[in-house]
Amino acid sequence: MRQFLAGLLIGAAALAPAGIVMAQSTPLRIEITDGVIEPLPFAVPDFVAETGTAGELSAQIARVVAADLAGTGLFREVPASAHISRVTDFDAPVQYADWKAINAQALITGGVSVNGNRLTVRFSGYDVFSENMLGEGLQFSGTTEGWRRMAHKVSDAIYSRITGESGYFDSRVVFVSESGPKNDRRKRLAIMDYDGANVQYLTNSSAIVLAPRFSPAGDQVLYTSYESGFPQVHVLDVARVQRRILSPEDGVMSFAPRFAPDGRTVVFSQSRGGNTDIYRMEIASGNLTRLTSAPSIETAPSFSPDGSQIVFESDRSGSQQLYVMAANGGEARRISFGSGRYGTPVWSPRGDLVAFTKQNRGRFHIGVMRTDGSEERLLTSSFLDEGPTWAPNGRVIMFTRETQGASGRATLYSVDISGRNLKPVRTPDGASDPAWSPLQN
Amino acid sequence: MGWVAFGAWFPSEPLPSQVQEVSLISAAEFARLSQDVAAPELSPEPATLAVPDTANLPEVAPPPAESTTETQPEPVTQVDPDPVVEDRPDPVPEAQPEALTEITPPSPVEVPELPTPIRPAERPDAGQQVDRVAPVPVAPPPPDAAPDEVAQPEIAPEEGAQDPQEVQEATAPEAASDRIVTEENESDAPVASAAPARSVRPKARPQRPDPAPEPAVAEAAPEPEPTPDPAPEPTPTEAPADRADAVGDALAEALSGGAEVEAPEPSGPPLSAGEKDALRVAVSSCWNVGSLSSEALRTTVIVGVSLSQDGKPDTGSIKMLSSSGGSAAAARQAYEAARRAVIRCGAKGFDLPPEKYAQWRDIEMTFNPERMRIR
Repeated sequence: MRQFLAGLLIGAAALAPAGIVMAQSTPLRIEITDGVIEPLPFAVPDFVAETGTAGELSAQIARVVAADLAGTGLFREVPASAHISRVTDFDAPVQYADWKAINAQALITGGVSVNGNRLTVRFSGYDVFSENMLGEGLQFSGTTEGWRRMAHKVSDAIYSRITGESGYFDSRVVFVSESGPKNDRRKRLAIMDYDGANVQYLTNSSAIVLAPRFSPAGDQVLYTSYESGFPQVHVLDVARVQRRILSPEDGVMSFAPRFAPDGRTVVFSQSRGGNTDIYRMEIASGNLTRLTSAPSIETAPSFSPDGSQIVFESDRSGSQQLYVMAANGGEARRISFGSGRYGTPVWSPRGDLVAFTKQNRGRFHIGVMRTDGSEERLLTSSFLDEGPTWAPNGRVIMFTRETQGASGRATLYSVDISGRNLKPVRTPDGASDPAWSPLQN
Repeated sequence: MGWVAFGAWFPSEPLPSQVQEVSLISAAEFARLSQDVAAPELSPEPATLAVPDTANLPEVAPPPAESTTETQPEPVTQVDPDPVVEDRPDPVPEAQPEALTEITPPSPVEVPELPTPIRPAERPDAGQQVDRVAPVPVAPPPPDAAPDEVAQPEIAPEEGAQDPQEVQEATAPEAASDRIVTEENESDAPVASAAPARSVRPKARPQRPDPAPEPAVAEAAPEPEPTPDPAPEPTPTEAPADRADAVGDALAEALSGGAEVEAPEPSGPPLSAGEKDALRVAVSSCWNVGSLSSEALRTTVIVGVSLSQDGKPDTGSIKMLSSSGGSAAAARQAYEAARRAVIRCGAKGFDLPPEKYAQWRDIEMTFNPERMRIR
């Protein structure tokens, strides 16, 4: 009796304060698991012209920034016509209420000054609803001719700050520019900004060129040229537009080159005696090492970002499939097992995925899979999609899409690795075989 | 064929018992009895037959009629059940089925389909028990579930049940601590909140002089049950009056004291599941993960926020309490997306019941992007 009562009272006494504490201090807990996936609304009012000659550039830079962000598919611009307040002083406090009212969740403001040929861009990003700055404001300086690059750098900074990933706007793409009808198509190497601006041609159209690939530093380009009548690997200095043959061996067809991450060696395919295998060459010494020795066709090698492995395509199993082997050669393991044929594998800059071209049931697809072949995901489907290349941040893939028929035209497309935001990249002529550069310094 | 067997059987068994009684009664009375009794006979036979097939009834019916008219042995059959019943006064309900079993032996020929007549003899109990057993196992689970819900007070089992109840500590806390948080329902939560509220003051003093509180005790009784233990109550049966008084006094004190203190009741009733869902949906609609990196989409963040009485979040109170699954940078992106969701959708005030403000003033929101991840 007494014990029971005592226990009960003690329990009640102990419960009382605990109950009070719980009631007063325990917060309500809820778990949110379902959100929305939609572009983040942002506003980029024209940058403030801080010198008399900066007026035109200040507006253009803002437009490029807006196009960069909106072009990712992750952001949506609130048009200037909807803006309530005007930013006339870069250093003035932001009127958050005005931007909240139009649901602009991010705001980018900037100031541009031009002194002679010297261009300076200051900018800041704001999380409107939190009324906080998106990191510290930054400033870039350069020449007025390089204003687009500075705009891209602003975009990269904002993109990185909001998404947590590095950007890819200040990058370039080398590709094969195509003109003329299908039966007499002229091809030449060209380079452009990632968004299709500033196209420059690196070769003339006297010889067929294929598959250009950037060096890790972005200063050189490997490509295959039929200048000598059969395919040979060339290396081209982008800045000086000087080129040389990397594999001068006569009578040996070399193609599908790609740099190793260290930039000092390259891998490519060579066809000797009717058998195509993968070789590795040190650029400085010209030493050649054979990495595969199968009677089948091995080609399209691509290094892993750490340089330890190579993914390539082979028909050793009877159909074209993807394999992974050590960078020094040796036993290869097959990673593609789906129906259809797989080719042109490219290792992601992040190292987690391999992009590829897949041909199945008369259609072509660009897809990605994990490096062990799991979680294959096809991103596109068309009459002819091929040749994927990764954006520097591993988030976007650019590839070639060719339309059907005699008047078919090759065009560059880009797509997010989620499969969203598929869109063409504007080029002056037809374009194929894109290769994305790393971010520029 | 069946008739022959039927007729032969009836006389055989009834005869021995029949002899005694028949001798005592006159023939005329016998005839009356046989007719009167004949009607009741129909019930046992048709009963056995009727159970399997209703169609058999008409067939079975005629034979008894004939037997009653033609021969007297049938009345004897009626006599049988009587002695049988006397033999089995205990199983009143079962007595009939058993009587049937005795009668059934002849019928098996007619109605082999009847599994019931066979079973009653062999496993009458088993068949019935099955039905009874089934509900029994079902019953246990509810009690298990109930204690989990009731055991909400995580602290209660530790302190209150240290000595007397180790069992509950082991069982209840496991399910209780986790489930209570997630399952909080209207019915459950009020119990938990009410108990601590009223028990606030009791510990202070053991005053007994108040007889008045007793009625309140009765009301309070159900409340303490969940937290301490249901077990103690059954045991006190020895001296229910005394203990009831003592417990009643103790609880009465607690109640009386608590009632005074908590008149304002800062805690109030907890949010209902629907109200919490509404808040969850409101925040979800603004939680945009479309611009997050893949790493940030693997990062779960827990965000704390305080709301004003109009349901609007205090922007300055929003903070990341913890994160898991990603780097610090990724956690920051995830947190900022979560913060935007809270601020944007709370700009006009979340639709929450004002009377329960104390319950939702401070909120911890877990933003788990697992289902939003790119696959």
